Amino acid sequence: MTTDNSKTGVGQGLDQAAKAALLRETMPFKTVPDATLRRIADLAKEETLPAGTRLYNEGDRADDLFVIASGKIEHALGPEAEASKLVKMVKRGDVIGWAALLSTKQRRLATTVAEADTQILRINAQKLRDLFQNDQQTGDMVMSRFATMIKEDYTLPDWLAKTRSIGEGTVARSEAEVPVSESRLALLGYRLGLWVKSPKPYLMITGFTAVLLFWHFSVDVFEWPRFRNMPGLVEVITEWLSRDPIYGLSVWTPEYYTHIIVSIRRVFIAFLLATALGVTLGLFMGWSKGVREFVFPVFETLRPVPILAWVPLAIIIFFHPESTVIFLTFLASFYATALNTMLGVDSIDESYSRAASCLGANKWQVFRHVIVPGALPFIFTGLQISVGVAWFSLVAAEMVSGEFGLGFVINTSYTMVKYPTIVIGMITLGAVGYTTSAMVRMLGDHLMQWRVRELAMGGR
Amino acid sequence: MSAQVMTHQMPGPGRLRKMMTNQRFYRAITGILVFIILWEVGARSEQWAGFAFPWIGLVPPPTAVLGAWSTVFVESSYWMSWLQSFGRVLAGFTAAVLLGVPLGLAMAVSRTFNGLAFPTFEVLRPIPPLAWVPAAIIFWPTQEMAIAFVTFLGAFYTIVINVVGGAKSIDIRYFQAAQSMGSNGADIFRRIILPGVMPSIFLGAAVGMGITWEVVVAAEMISGGGSQIGGTAGGGLGFFIWNSYLGGSYELIVVGMISIGIAGYLCSSTIRKTGTWATPWKRLR
Repeated sequence: MTTDNSKTGVGQGLDQAAKAALLRETMPFKTVPDATLRRIADLAKEETLPAGTRLYNEGDRADDLFVIASGKIEHALGPEAEASKLVKMVKRGDVIGWAALLSTKQRRLATTVAEADTQILRINAQKLRDLFQNDQQTGDMVMSRFATMIKEDYTLPDWLAKTRSIGEGTVARSEAEVPVSESRLALLGYRLGLWVKSPKPYLMITGFTAVLLFWHFSVDVFEWPRFRNMPGLVEVITEWLSRDPIYGLSVWTPEYYTHIIVSIRRVFIAFLLATALGVTLGLFMGWSKGVREFVFPVFETLRPVPILAWVPLAIIIFFHPESTVIFLTFLASFYATALNTMLGVDSIDESYSRAASCLGANKWQVFRHVIVPGALPFIFTGLQISVGVAWFSLVAAEMVSGEFGLGFVINTSYTMVKYPTIVIGMITLGAVGYTTSAMVRMLGDHLMQWRVRELAMGGR
Repeated sequence: MSAQVMTHQMPGPGRLRKMMTNQRFYRAITGILVFIILWEVGARSEQWAGFAFPWIGLVPPPTAVLGAWSTVFVESSYWMSWLQSFGRVLAGFTAAVLLGVPLGLAMAVSRTFNGLAFPTFEVLRPIPPLAWVPAAIIFWPTQEMAIAFVTFLGAFYTIVINVVGGAKSIDIRYFQAAQSMGSNGADIFRRIILPGVMPSIFLGAAVGMGITWEVVVAAEMISGGGSQIGGTAGGGLGFFIWNSYLGGSYELIVVGMISIGIAGYLCSSTIRKTGTWATPWKRLR
């Protein structure tokens, strides 16, 4: 199984907790969660080396890694290892034999001899890797800590590069083997566990409860002067969930979904139009000085006019309520998208365009490969804002003109004195609006993973 | 080219000359002029060429708008609308700043308070301010207060979010440095948190001001006769627009739109100016 020519003896029992405590002292395992650490401790076999024992020689096959529990070991690297210090003494808490973890070159890089009677933990590298495949996050962390540890010993840059690829290479490989959904689920579970342990969810529930109780007591129990007129919490919820709603709108009535779908459809059309036109205009305004200098002043002159001030004019122009509502929703989104796209193009370092031009890219290629991807993060910020303002103006437009839709529900419920329905409309509007914004945000994160990673690395 | 030569010889203050020789300035003027001419031609095409363009043909032409504006310009009712809208915006906006800034700071400073209030805040935030209009009208005794409340909501969310975000973006090393040098909580608040969030407060206020104008216009339209919600609290530029629409004087709609644009722009730029004045360290860059 192993070619390590060591005379080993079984030591006087370190229990799991002691092993875990020792592992906790080491650089690579310092931050491993307790449960995983105990499982690693179970893999660790305790051994005692009398003074003068050779643990392994340079060039041996590497299967295990070792953690020193007591005593000391001389660790001598071969001359071709290009390390900053060829010979060093390792003591309690040090980890040696990490070459076993490399996926490509599983040969010992050093010769190690026990200087005194030494107690070690032997961990099988293959089993450790298997363990990490089931716990991606921890594995990732341990590997990168290994890489950092190794980096301290090897100063030469190409070695550094190699050791870096060790850690990442191993993780990348194991990622491919484990079904993605499973590891994501595990990660989600882990985060959920952390969240439940923190005070956050309890504070959140307290906050919600306080608001809801205030609503209930102020309206239904104490019947304070102005509050008394408002629809109460119980009334709203029973109406919302009732199969036979008094005011005709609940989760069981098809009209409820008609209104939601009509509103979503309007926002969707307006959003698509605004994105197509806004991104195009924004890119051209950012890319071409001429276009910007002619068009941007007009844009800036029109922009301060609030969207809702356009309502009557839009009614005159479009006449049809549907197009009016879509136009108003479109206009709000359009400004946000165009402006952010232009700012995005501005934010691109000009040396990129120059470099591309020097390398022979024509104007169109610069546009396609530099301007568009460079502006993408800002475009998505713009799109997020754009969805928000789209819902904002949709409500107003639907309240003033329009048939169906959630804004219309809120408005007509008021005039027809169906007060609980107003609140149902508001809550639904909030939920639907939030969902669409979240979808745009997720799409953006997904499309720009390079940026998410960059931010994560920048933030360390 | 000839224009450039001419302007070089032109005497006068340096700034004006710089602006006059600037190509950008001419292009901006050209852009706006072309826009206005297209608008005029589009709007008058039926008169001049005998056929109406779709959409643009229904818009009142700029010359007619100017004419209408010059007549209302001397009427006191027009300026009353300005005053009323300004009053509502200021009321809502001031309330939003007075409540939003402390709330945002409290959420940024205390983790417990943040845990308590922020989720609730985030749940309420996606509901557009205008969806509150009917509920506000039911709740508040007068329509005036209802409008001010909705206006307040519009700016409130933006300000709070900006204050919290601004406080979160402060480099944590500042706190560590201050603490290691023996600062107490009050010092840290006064010397690090407050200057740290100041730019975000002004940014949030400027954006919030924009939203306030949006909301006030809509609230005035909705409560002051727009849609089926009738009311007694008329007035304001939003109502001016809506009234012009009902009365069929389409030129005045555009006058109202431009007036609101100017008013909103004035307010926002005042806040931005105050912001640059109050955060002088941001100017150096």
